[in-house]
Amino acid sequence: MIKYLIQKEFLQIRRNAFLPRLIIIFPIIIMCVMPWVMNQEVRNIRVSVVDHDHTSLSARLVHSIEQSNYFRFRGMQPSYELARKEIEKSRTDIILVIAKGYGKVAEMKAKGNAIPSEEDRGKILIAANAVNGVKGGIGASYLSQIVVASANPDAAALQSAVSTFYLYNKHLNYKLFMIPALLAIVMMLMCSFLPALNIVSEKETGTIEQINVTPVSKWSFILAKLIPYWLMGLLVVTICLLLAWAIYGITCQGPIALVYLLTMVLALFFSSLGLLVSNYSETLQQAILVIWFFMVCLLLLSGLFTPTRSMPHWAYLTTYINPMHYFIDAIRTVFVRGGNFAAIAHQVYALCAFAILMSFWAVVSYKKNS
Amino acid sequence: MNAIEVHHISKSYGKVKALEDVSFSVGKGEVFGLIGPDGAGKTSMYRILCTLLLPNMGSATVDGYDVKRQTREIRRRVGYMPGRFSLYQDLTVEENLYFFATLFGTTVEEGYNSIKAVYSQIERFKNRRAGALSGGMKQKLALCCALIHSPSVLFLDEPTTGVDPVSRKEFWDMLAMLKERGITILASTPYLDEVRRCERVAFLHQGHLQGIDTPDAILERFSDVFNPPAIEHSKAVTVGEENVIEVQHLVKSFGSFRAVDDISFSVRRGEIFGFLGANGAGKTTAMHILTGLSQPTQGTGTVVGYDICTEHEQIKKNIGYMSQKFSLYEDLTVAENIRLFAGIYGMNDQTIARKTDELLSRLNFAEHKNDLVSSLPLGWKQKLAFSVSIFHEPGVVFLDEPTGGVDPATRRQFWELIYDAAARGITVFVTTHYMDEAEYCDRISIMVDGKIRALGTPDELKQNYHQPDINHVFTYLARQASRSSD
Repeated sequence: MIKYLIQKEFLQIRRNAFLPRLIIIFPIIIMCVMPWVMNQEVRNIRVSVVDHDHTSLSARLVHSIEQSNYFRFRGMQPSYELARKEIEKSRTDIILVIAKGYGKVAEMKAKGNAIPSEEDRGKILIAANAVNGVKGGIGASYLSQIVVASANPDAAALQSAVSTFYLYNKHLNYKLFMIPALLAIVMMLMCSFLPALNIVSEKETGTIEQINVTPVSKWSFILAKLIPYWLMGLLVVTICLLLAWAIYGITCQGPIALVYLLTMVLALFFSSLGLLVSNYSETLQQAILVIWFFMVCLLLLSGLFTPTRSMPHWAYLTTYINPMHYFIDAIRTVFVRGGNFAAIAHQVYALCAFAILMSFWAVVSYKKNS
Repeated sequence: MNAIEVHHISKSYGKVKALEDVSFSVGKGEVFGLIGPDGAGKTSMYRILCTLLLPNMGSATVDGYDVKRQTREIRRRVGYMPGRFSLYQDLTVEENLYFFATLFGTTVEEGYNSIKAVYSQIERFKNRRAGALSGGMKQKLALCCALIHSPSVLFLDEPTTGVDPVSRKEFWDMLAMLKERGITILASTPYLDEVRRCERVAFLHQGHLQGIDTPDAILERFSDVFNPPAIEHSKAVTVGEENVIEVQHLVKSFGSFRAVDDISFSVRRGEIFGFLGANGAGKTTAMHILTGLSQPTQGTGTVVGYDICTEHEQIKKNIGYMSQKFSLYEDLTVAENIRLFAGIYGMNDQTIARKTDELLSRLNFAEHKNDLVSSLPLGWKQKLAFSVSIFHEPGVVFLDEPTGGVDPATRRQFWELIYDAAARGITVFVTTHYMDEAEYCDRISIMVDGKIRALGTPDELKQNYHQPDINHVFTYLARQASRSSD
């Protein structure tokens, strides 16, 4: 009998003016646009310079800022106050002030003379707009590296002697980091909202009452609701993987079957969450808001955007009960690092446990007789 | 000057012509009926007159203002009650009223005189959420909201569909009071007793105006639609001895509220049992217990031989059900709906295909096999929903207000189907607000305040209560209701 129910769901999806388009357009938007914008690399920081020194040394410093590909030189400003105004108008991000005497001190140091007293020492001031803390902090530290290197050739030499080797993501390609996370978001949206909204709208039109007086078993009704959306989710994930390969040349480093395993388990979890919410909601509005609430919390606490270790301890503890966290950990291990099943076994088991618990709850809370 | 003037109005949606060259006029202070079957173009006419819709051709004035150009003036002067309940379910009675008063730039205090007569009846419940009111009370509240700005013209689009006879009578008594204050009323209704309370009626059919006259003249002229010959119920189908439904001392309470309060009755095989009651009397709750949708708080019972408390999934295999809310999938075709429900009851593909063709040819509906249900008129949807609910030959079929909102001729066709089913041995358990339908039943029960107050054949009840017809019996009993919800 489940055959007829599934057939009905597919017919309804096909007749729907909106869903088939969503299934095609959604992964394309997610994969073509999001990897470019969801990028935490700090680039194109705008710098204004206030030079009170006017020596060849200060000119060299300005020149090396101009050359750096992290900075965009926004020109010289006559005073710190005027430069501050530029920040306020959002025309620049960082001000570098070179105090009078900067060149002279360096010259004296180079000749081995005694260093002049504290007051005369030409100082460098870096003032960064830290509304976006990451951008301000990283910008200021890049800039101070440049300052040190330009003032002291030895330091420059030392810097080039330290070799950094980025494991698994040689070019620090942020897209490689984001694409598995985007898969997670796609599955989350497709598999939790759509089945939940489907059931609640049957409640609103009253057709669910008609189904409830038939001998359809709970399990077949719920499975018939979920299977079409799982298949849709898998289709969408496949489209995403193909697009990642076609557009960015990024492919999965580990066994692709593990990626599908993980997305299936995640899909089970989220669709059960959606059902659970729909069982307790009477209206579409209510269902959407409640699911939205859970999605945002699960997403932001999952380590998708920010490293979980840098969260405060109590927030970090919540990641133990966040299935999204296990998923993201595992899929990055497989996708980026090429891990095998042994590397993610712990996450897979945790994810399965959550998914089974949730689906059990969803089926129990669906009542054909109250 | 007439309150409403309509000249040669036409309106079409794509290829569908909703109204074609319709003209009529309504005098000041007149109660004018706009009647016709579902899909006749009544709602389009209301929407044009309320300036919500522009006509393709023709012109109309309301209270002297043109519906195309002077929309603001008109909106200030009319009250509109759309067919479906139009209030905010989550706001209380009072909050709804204040909201609508504010919308029209007035206050409840200022408008109190114009609504006093109506509002005094529901003022006791001013802190109750509108969604928790019974059908009749909702309509009274909606009427208050439409009256709050003292409109001079009132548009009522089937205001009493799904409302019980007593509440309907009260509603029309209020309209009669409004008329005395000089308010012009344009109303539509599927109920004949309400049509008779209009001064003149216009009969619309498929967008064409068929005639304007006094109610009696119109009902006489179009008697094939309004007054179809009564159905011959061949009593040849003998009612069996065994009981298909049997309940003893059934109680369902929600908190301290006893929606169903100790009812006992039985229904025999092949019987058509009418289950009547006012809005909020507990009919739907009782039906939900019988169909295995909810558990009784107390009491026992069996349906087709299975226990209602423990064997509800067994019951579901052997009954059919047609709910109050429309129950087919609108985005599936006729054949797909039949296939779905037949499949659920475990029929195989060959049987389904054969029986679908049989059914559709019996209904003369074969050419619409692949039409979407949403494109069908309401009367056909109801006939299909009923046919689908007995497709698997259940022992008993439950019909919860199956014929709401359609004209007498269509209802009569529906009842022919019910008699057909009964003739095949299917027991029919039906609730309705149409008292003429109650007379078609073999036996009826009347519920008041959660209890069954009367039970017997229609003739027995009329004799026992010394009333001329079931309508009067019902009114007599329902007036004794004391439950605070109505």
